[in-house]
Amino acid sequence: MPKSRRFSSAPNRRELLLPVLFIAPAVAVLLSLSIYPLIYSVTISLQQQTSAGIRWSVANFVRLASDNFFLTAMVHTFVYAAAALTCEFLLGLGLALLLNKQLRGRGLFRASLLVPMMLPPVVVGVVWRLMLNPNFGAVNGILKQLGINTENLTWTASPRLAMLSVILVDVWQWTPFVFLVLLAGLQAIPQEPYEAALIDGSSRWQTFRHVTLPLLKPSILIVLLLRTMDLLRVFDQIFILTEGGPGFATETISLYIYRTAFRFFDFGYAAAMSFVLLALTNVISAIYIRFLEAKEAA
Amino acid sequence: MRATIFLTLLLLLSVSCTPRKQLTLAVVSGVEGDALKQAARDYESQTGTHINIAEFPYTNLFEKELIDLKARTGAYDLIMLDDPWFPRFASEQLLTDLTPMLQQRGQSGPDSDFVETSVALCRHPYQTGSLYALPYVGNSQLFFYRKDLFEKHSLKQPATWQDVLTAAKTIHEQENSGTKVYGYVMRAAQGNAAVADFMPIFWAFGGEMFDASGKPVLNSPEGIAALQFMLELGKYSPPGYASFNADDVGAHLLQGTAAMSINWPAWISSFADATKSKVVGKMEFTTLPSGQKPGQAEIGNWLIAIPRDSQNGGAAMDFLLWATSAEQMKRSAQRGNPPTRKSLFRDAELVAKNPAYPAQLRSLETSRPRPRTPYWNEIENAFGIFLSKANSGELPPAEAMNQANAEIEKILQRAQ
Repeated sequence: MPKSRRFSSAPNRRELLLPVLFIAPAVAVLLSLSIYPLIYSVTISLQQQTSAGIRWSVANFVRLASDNFFLTAMVHTFVYAAAALTCEFLLGLGLALLLNKQLRGRGLFRASLLVPMMLPPVVVGVVWRLMLNPNFGAVNGILKQLGINTENLTWTASPRLAMLSVILVDVWQWTPFVFLVLLAGLQAIPQEPYEAALIDGSSRWQTFRHVTLPLLKPSILIVLLLRTMDLLRVFDQIFILTEGGPGFATETISLYIYRTAFRFFDFGYAAAMSFVLLALTNVISAIYIRFLEAKEAA
Repeated sequence: MRATIFLTLLLLLSVSCTPRKQLTLAVVSGVEGDALKQAARDYESQTGTHINIAEFPYTNLFEKELIDLKARTGAYDLIMLDDPWFPRFASEQLLTDLTPMLQQRGQSGPDSDFVETSVALCRHPYQTGSLYALPYVGNSQLFFYRKDLFEKHSLKQPATWQDVLTAAKTIHEQENSGTKVYGYVMRAAQGNAAVADFMPIFWAFGGEMFDASGKPVLNSPEGIAALQFMLELGKYSPPGYASFNADDVGAHLLQGTAAMSINWPAWISSFADATKSKVVGKMEFTTLPSGQKPGQAEIGNWLIAIPRDSQNGGAAMDFLLWATSAEQMKRSAQRGNPPTRKSLFRDAELVAKNPAYPAQLRSLETSRPRPRTPYWNEIENAFGIFLSKANSGELPPAEAMNQANAEIEKILQRAQ
């Protein structure tokens, strides 16, 4: 066989075999751990167990529309995500802008800001549950020292304050992440546009609005996307802090899906809810991307 | 290649050796499971039967067992079950009928020393059907109250819920100097907690969850009155009780900041422990107060069953009978678990160590189970949400009961 065959455009079988062999493990893992479960969950969401056996139906999806628990949990999830995201973004941006300057002790400040992010959410949940305990928690203890009447400040036990409490905890934990990404974005912006803006005599606000913000857009997009996806599927902290209570006040969709699957053993319905959540997450992500790209083009 | 040959040889070797008799036991972590684990170790050294222990926290045990049994893996030969789970397992025919195995061993049924209300839980349908489990830990609720405070304010032992309310009010108003003592403390966190603390009030007021045809009737006038009464008691409970679980209630009682509560026997021993308790010797335990109807406690027993797909049914049955025998259950009682045998509740040695045993037996014998339905987890979840909402002030009592009733109706309709 001539040596030049090796470089011909049609590879022989032997040459095909090697890449296939290299890819095979990855494909096998993907098939067994992602693709198969995905197909399986689609199937069970479209099946209904009856006394006559299993039959195909969309009953699980129809049930969603009349399930008050599901609808309320959805509303909670979006309220939670929107409120936490807004606070985290504004605080994170503010901190990033502040610490992008030359300040004394900047390193120390930055490092200490990152501590909450390093803790597992379950630990954060337990710590805050103790701190927010109305009778012997640190938060009410401090407020009492300041002369504030804490008798009605029951935090996670109050239907009005419970949602606020869980949002507060998420803001505490995840603002550092937003800050970190935005700070990295700010530091990647070159000095030249700022110099040009300075020469053109733009005000500080104008510089921020027309130089910093547009150049920071890719980082903003990334951080908003990641946080939104995380917030929509929040589970650990809320499970530890309130378990969805009091009553149903902080039940988010992930908690309800968990309960449906592993407490009531209705995997089909849980899968149906998961797909709705997935679809909504995708739609929201698409809107973000569209919105930020459109603005860039303008 | 060499490794493959070696592994094949090893496999052949392990198959050809006749294995020792083996059993696998699924237990709950905590005091109930620990006693059974220790019993399994004793059994091992006595009989040579090797027992593998699979231990899970309470919340995971149910899902683990149900998934394994439904997949028919035969992984477990014996499982511990909390009694409200039993109807689900029995109605899906996942358990072994024990009666034929008892007959093989010359017994016609479970021996008469078991408390009747405990054995009734092990039958499907309830009380009358075939026997699918044996009761191992005999918990039922008790009413806890502070003897010293009752004497101090010359209050009589709480026999009715009205007595409880009067006492709660008196203590709440008068124990205000120094450490504040709340008159009553309860758990009203959604889910199991709120439902367990409400059921004895609900039953005493004449409420029923289902009528004779199985239709939910929570929102009867009696049911609504019971919830109104719970909120009345809530006025004398520590703030935030609408999210309390067992540990919050325990903390208040141990710290001496609450005077009365419905609780489970597992807490009794901690009151005598001066390192944790500020109320050593001050707590008294009695049966549940009455309303229009006699007081009844909620029963909460741990059962042991043999999965239908166990490959070692005979050996499992031998262990089950051994572990629930009077002799072995006495050891379990010494390890801190209430027994399910009448003779042990009356055993002088045990009573000396557990002065509440007579009250526990009275409570257990008159106790009631949670409604026997395979959908209990779902029903309890829905009911608990609305009870918690009422207690946190989000819904008025009548509205909460109406909505709970409607939600439970939906669950049952779906099940059909």
